[in-house]
Amino acid sequence: MSPRKEIAANIVLILFSATFLIYTTRYPLDNWESPGPAVFPLVLGAVLLLLAAWQMIRAFMAPRAPDRGGEEIAKVDSVRAFLHDNRGEAKVLILTSLMVLYILMMQWIGFFVSTFLVVILSSRLMEAKGWVRPIVLSVGVCIFCYFLFVVWIKLSFPQGILF
Amino acid sequence: MSDQGILSNLLITLQPDNVIACFAGAMIGTLIGVLPGLGPAAAMALVIPLTLKLGPTAGLIMLAGIYYGSMYGGSTTSILVNVPGEPASVVTTLDGYAMAKKGRAGAALAISAIGSFIAGTVSVIALQFFAPLLARTALAFGPAEYFALTVLGVVLLSNMTGKSRTRSLVMMMAGLILSTVGMDPIGGLERFSFGIETAQGGISFIAITTGLFGIAEVFAVMAAREKRAEILPVKFRELYPNRKELRRSVAPIARGSVLGFLIGLLPGPAATMASFASYGMERSISRHPGEFGNGAIEGVAGPEAANNAASGGAMIPLLSLGLPFTPATAVLLGGMLLHGITPGPFLLRDRPDVFWGVIGSFYLGNAMLLILNLPLVGFFAKLVRVPSRYLMPIILVLCAIGTYGDNGALFDVWVMLGAGVIGYVMRKYGYQPAPLVVGLVLGPVMERSFRQTLIISGGRVESLWESPICMAMWGVAFLAILLPMVIPPIKAGMKRRLRNRA
Repeated sequence: MSPRKEIAANIVLILFSATFLIYTTRYPLDNWESPGPAVFPLVLGAVLLLLAAWQMIRAFMAPRAPDRGGEEIAKVDSVRAFLHDNRGEAKVLILTSLMVLYILMMQWIGFFVSTFLVVILSSRLMEAKGWVRPIVLSVGVCIFCYFLFVVWIKLSFPQGILF
Repeated sequence: MSDQGILSNLLITLQPDNVIACFAGAMIGTLIGVLPGLGPAAAMALVIPLTLKLGPTAGLIMLAGIYYGSMYGGSTTSILVNVPGEPASVVTTLDGYAMAKKGRAGAALAISAIGSFIAGTVSVIALQFFAPLLARTALAFGPAEYFALTVLGVVLLSNMTGKSRTRSLVMMMAGLILSTVGMDPIGGLERFSFGIETAQGGISFIAITTGLFGIAEVFAVMAAREKRAEILPVKFRELYPNRKELRRSVAPIARGSVLGFLIGLLPGPAATMASFASYGMERSISRHPGEFGNGAIEGVAGPEAANNAASGGAMIPLLSLGLPFTPATAVLLGGMLLHGITPGPFLLRDRPDVFWGVIGSFYLGNAMLLILNLPLVGFFAKLVRVPSRYLMPIILVLCAIGTYGDNGALFDVWVMLGAGVIGYVMRKYGYQPAPLVVGLVLGPVMERSFRQTLIISGGRVESLWESPICMAMWGVAFLAILLPMVIPPIKAGMKRRLRNRA
């Protein structure tokens, strides 16, 4: 991991542990004879803060990569390399949004209908060709899950306006 | 308990329900080990609602079946495709894949199965001696000892997972922090639940596990460009190792079994450590060390036996103390609690049927894997090629159903998705999810024992380390922290001195 990434990760950790520590003060500390609910989280938050600070110091002290000449060209190259390396990330973002929609839709149109849709769409997102196979897959998955989880194990799932 | 009692409890495993559960577990486990996208911990978490239908003994046998089945499946892909299914079979890729390239894939698979079977047997026999002894020792464990043991577990675990100790500790702290959400274990005060009703009972362990090991993995598979795995062929008549290979494997299997079992008793990721330790040992004592890495059968036999014996040994801290030190045993613990069984010193006394039933299933499961999987190995190897565009949507849906089914709460599904996204980003930054999951499970035990110790002793902090057992554990923990800091500078100093002298 590059020092810049390392520093960014540790800033997030430090902010998180600081917020956590501040929030912990809302709970009573009590005394040594009977430590209150704030004691343990306080210790954890403090240790996390120390660890993140330690990592941050080490990242600052790490030797930097020497500057290369022709910075402009390097910049264009690095942008291109970044886009090339992170093509997959766009898909991850789309899939995350799809999952968010999926969970929201569960309550509106029902669990199995939204599951049917999400299997088709995620399969297409992962470069399945055509519509027939994803639809067959989705029907199969829904029927299997229905019989296994609803009929046999008797779990109940959110039912919306459709099913 | 008399030996006869142990035997009759071990035979519980042979009841039809339990045999079927064991078979199903071993099959699911092998599939999970072979297929990408779902680790054993997530798979076990998803099956928990199913096991509730089966009852405690059969349910837990099924969970255990997934645990060791996945280990076996992981070895299969290590040997045939050079892709370790899980960390414990990383070492097997070194010589297993090299053997497969030489046309001895069948022999490597057979030796790995035979080694696992023998090691499983050794660990069951050793458990019969150790478990009652440990359960008796565990009775001497008060809150202070439990606290020291969890601290020791945290320290050892962070020493051994991933590349960076600090990062593992960070993840462990994150897990412990997450464990404080919900009711405070002593006073019952609600903490960090932000008014969300489902969070009042704590963050769902199943949601976090499926998110980190299921959803995050789907994201990772998706972001990576699909590569077609090249599978080396196995012919049925090649399955039998020749006499020379068998002769060379006997001693490594025996050594691996003993070493693995002993490592299994320590808190930490036992199976992985055991396989690496066994590989190192075999290479250092081998008469032909040059063959290691180029297809030495000892490099498959030893580590495979060791990781299996270790997963048997790891059952001891789990069953006798109720403390898991790997994500998979943490899920097993979660499963036990849902079945109303509390692992701990009293488990062996109160529920010998469950204790020995699970142990016996290790034995039966290994025999099943040996008999069933060798002829089916070609089929399992082909499964590696199932395209992810069909596999991943199924995993996504199973994760959502398993997580929702646990509590019937949509909030848990949101937690799962959040854990998946965070887990994916974390892995990109070099943070491993395993310590977080273990931290989440150890957290409540740690907090309760810490506060109970202080309450019982009237606020004397020394009571946390006064007893001899505590002192020993704190001592080991400090050594585990100090030695990795002190040894490298000393070594460097000695090298410099030697160079100066030369």
